Amino acid sequence: MDCFMFPGQPLAFPTALPDDGDFFTIAELVRQRTGFDLYSSTWIRDSGTDNTGFQLHGVAMSLYLNRKKRAEGSQPAVVAEHSMGIYAALAASGSLAEGEAIEVTWRLGSCMAKMGETGYYALGCIIGLTSEPVLALARNCGVHLANHNTSRHFLLCGTREKIETAVAEAVAHGAFSAKSFPCDAPLHTPLIQELESPLRQILAEYQYWEPSCILVDHLEQKRLKAHDLADFMFRQLCMPVYWEKTYRSLVAMGIRRFHEIGAGDALKKYNRWIESEMTR
Amino acid sequence: MSEQLIDQVKQLIIDSLRIEGMEVGDIETDAPLFGEGLGLDSIDALQLVVGMEKEFGVVVPDAETGNKVFRSVRTMADYIAEHRK
Repeated sequence: MDCFMFPGQPLAFPTALPDDGDFFTIAELVRQRTGFDLYSSTWIRDSGTDNTGFQLHGVAMSLYLNRKKRAEGSQPAVVAEHSMGIYAALAASGSLAEGEAIEVTWRLGSCMAKMGETGYYALGCIIGLTSEPVLALARNCGVHLANHNTSRHFLLCGTREKIETAVAEAVAHGAFSAKSFPCDAPLHTPLIQELESPLRQILAEYQYWEPSCILVDHLEQKRLKAHDLADFMFRQLCMPVYWEKTYRSLVAMGIRRFHEIGAGDALKKYNRWIESEMTR
Repeated sequence: MSEQLIDQVKQLIIDSLRIEGMEVGDIETDAPLFGEGLGLDSIDALQLVVGMEKEFGVVVPDAETGNKVFRSVRTMADYIAEHRK
């Protein structure tokens, strides 16, 4: 069984883009639906943040690579997703059209970006520490766990000042790497709940079709059905991504072939780490 | 430092990072491992830390040391030669 895995948003604009008809088609969809030009990474209609632009680049690259894989004859039995990868995953599983996946990425991203007008937020990427000290320093610093990617790879999220403190503490505790990245909103934390009403309203405006293959969620590793999707998409913004649990559950399902359908290869690298611990 | 150790380090990189289609001879000894060279990142670096400990019994204790050790295959081999028991 093949699994298509859809990664979350990149943390920077890409330095190069594919130069073919499929990508051009996706870029046109992005331009029409959102007013963002992927080729210049600029907003041509209204204005938006860099982070929303990163999210659009992420979903566009995933949709493009999904098209390429399909053209090669590859069909997923299972689709898994990490964070913002859910939007392209919904298109890949037939629950949303490509244009809708792009549009919902932009609308949700723009809605969350409003939090950045009144607060400063950041992500803290902590590598090398185990979960116990990471969770302890998150509590001490008043920030939240946003991703549990492997036993040694975590993402924290919170206000920029507190994340800087948490990153410094992680280094002091012996983290192999600890870095912060600014973001518009405290993704995957309970702080997003203050936007519950507008976010749920956006999500309620779409019709979700039944997934054409098994679609596994990253919160509870359950099979998502059409009627779960709007609620899941809101809840996942308020809760951490549990990638290690997700990957282990996919392996337990008997999946052996994984394809990362998106920018970069972070999920592949997380899987490599998890597998190395599974075989020890 | 022996060429044998250099090749062992290259093989460690290929095995630890599961780089498909690459052989020892494809990796330049003095090329940077991060950024332009092999394009490794912090996730890869931690995998190499574990690999070095398992293969050579050598510990990279912190990020500061890691930044020096993982500059190139040669700096990795130098560190291993100096610290292995």
